[in-house]
Amino acid sequence: MIEKTSLTPVASQAQSLRRLGSRAALLAGFGALLVLMVIICIDSLHTLGAFESSNAQIRQDFLYRERTLERVRTGLYESGNILRDYILTGSDPDAQEALGTNLQSVRNETTAALNACIQSVPAGERGPFQHLAAGMERYWLAIDPIFTLGAKERAEQGKSLLRRDVLSQHAEILVITKEVSSVNDDELKESDRRIAEAFAQFRRRLLAVATTAVSLGLILAAATILYAGRLEKSIKEKYEESLQAQRELKELSKRLVNAEERERRAISRELHDEVGQSLSALLMDVENLAATSDEGSVFREGLRKIKMLAENCVNEVRNIALLLRPSMLDDLGLVAALEWQAREVSKRTGMLVETVDENVSDKLPEEHKTCVYRVVQEALNNCSKHAYAKNVRVLVRQQPGRLHLSIEDDGKGFDPNLARGLGLIGMNERVSQLGGVLKVDSDLVRGTRLQVDLPLPSASTDRGT
Amino acid sequence: MKKLRILLADDHIVMRAGLRVLLERQPNLEVVGESENGRETVELSASLKPDVVVMDVGMPVLNGIEATRTIVGQHPTTAVVILSMHSDESYVMRALKAGARAYLLKDSAAADLISAILAVSQNKAFFSPKVSRILAEDYVRVLKQKGAVDSYDLLTSREREILQLLAEGKANKEVAAALNISPYTVETHRSHILEKLNLHNPAELILYAVRKGIIS
Repeated sequence: MIEKTSLTPVASQAQSLRRLGSRAALLAGFGALLVLMVIICIDSLHTLGAFESSNAQIRQDFLYRERTLERVRTGLYESGNILRDYILTGSDPDAQEALGTNLQSVRNETTAALNACIQSVPAGERGPFQHLAAGMERYWLAIDPIFTLGAKERAEQGKSLLRRDVLSQHAEILVITKEVSSVNDDELKESDRRIAEAFAQFRRRLLAVATTAVSLGLILAAATILYAGRLEKSIKEKYEESLQAQRELKELSKRLVNAEERERRAISRELHDEVGQSLSALLMDVENLAATSDEGSVFREGLRKIKMLAENCVNEVRNIALLLRPSMLDDLGLVAALEWQAREVSKRTGMLVETVDENVSDKLPEEHKTCVYRVVQEALNNCSKHAYAKNVRVLVRQQPGRLHLSIEDDGKGFDPNLARGLGLIGMNERVSQLGGVLKVDSDLVRGTRLQVDLPLPSASTDRGT
Repeated sequence: MKKLRILLADDHIVMRAGLRVLLERQPNLEVVGESENGRETVELSASLKPDVVVMDVGMPVLNGIEATRTIVGQHPTTAVVILSMHSDESYVMRALKAGARAYLLKDSAAADLISAILAVSQNKAFFSPKVSRILAEDYVRVLKQKGAVDSYDLLTSREREILQLLAEGKANKEVAAALNISPYTVETHRSHILEKLNLHNPAELILYAVRKGIIS
């Protein structure tokens, strides 16, 4: 575990670089996919637009040519009618004049329409139209002589002229228009075929691009899933590591706390039992010696000084030992130790500390005694140092299977969510080690109440005496 | 005069030696045995039946206070003098509750032990002056901090008289004889005293008397 957490900087750098690389690759892939999709869209819209307009153009051209042919046919029939009227009318010059003008305008319109159409047709396709135009020209030329005939000739030759020249031309032109029309039809069909082919090509292209996009998408999705999975795995590993580290830290802190307590007790005992007792014995011997010496002698005076020194030493040693760990905790039990502490704190700080014990056994488990004692010690320290309390009430109550502790002060409180000083953390640590719960209620007006609930092992639930 | 038979209980051999020297200088005292832990002390008290046990508190196996409880429970005539490193009330109180009659500090043993042994042999209580002083100071301090009235002021002069005699270790009958009143009257006074002073047992009464400087 430890090896894992202490990855060398180089290794972790390489790992982060690799992660950065795969992230960039994924990003590029998604970018490409997006671009591809945009391209498909634009291309499709563009192609469809082009199809639409070229299709419309082709239809329009076709119709225009058809209309022109129609115009030519109409012109032919009209001119035929005019000619017939002209030949059949008697010798009214006004009517003949009018017919002549009429014919001229028909001729002009037809020729103009045909010429305009020829202009609109691409040079390569003009052949049939020019052929038609030539035919029409011949037709107009064939008609002209009829208008130069006198009334008498008209009556005699008109019908035969009409039949011989005009009608034959007429028939020929109609054939030509039919040919032109069929050419026009063919062209339309050809255009349709070209469009269909282009459309098929477009479909193939679309299919190819779409297939590419879908494949790329699938690859990206797979890569993303893989990447996410790897991330998830590494996060899980990190989480496990941190949990493990937390457990280890907890264990370590427990061991530290226990070691500290053990050391304190050992030193306290040693000071008290060995140093203190030896000094007491020394005092005794000095007294005994003094009793054998003469009153007022230099020797006795010396012994008096030794005695004073030794007494001071005893007091010092006792105080140090008590501060390290009060012997009451081991000799007399938790309640006695708490009472002593309350008295000491009261004496030292002027804060009135009241202890109340309800049904508390003198034979609580060692760890529980120590835990409660140290929590109270820390709490009283906080009460006097930070809360400036005047009164503190310490209550210990033993119930079957549990030990309850509460410490209430009337000092200035604090916000337990904001202020979690080391003191509180340490207390919480001690309490949670024994499976207990520590609760802090504090507000700026009422002061602070700290409550601890410790589960007790079943053997220690009876009240000792 | 019959010599007082004394049992020395201390896990420190140097301490025991010092005490023995001290005690054996007195013609009317006789050290009949030594023990170095609580259990041994209980056993020797049973077999030797000493008049006085001089008892250390911090001893292995069974501590001095527990040993005192057992010894006094088995032989109420055996008086126990506690010899302790601690001047704290919690020790004094528990020693008294366990049945000890005297409480001495080790650093003043040489000066006070003889007086203490003589006092307990006459059924009186005895405390090192330093212990009395600390207890008295504590009492005054707590009264001051609480801003409370000294409950001693609530006692009548007759009750104060009886309190002192009781605290000195006298039984109801002796008190009655000393004051020339009936033992029942003494009992009535006694319960009034305990009620007014909010005390619950003889040990607390003695401790109270020490605090007030009524006895030393």
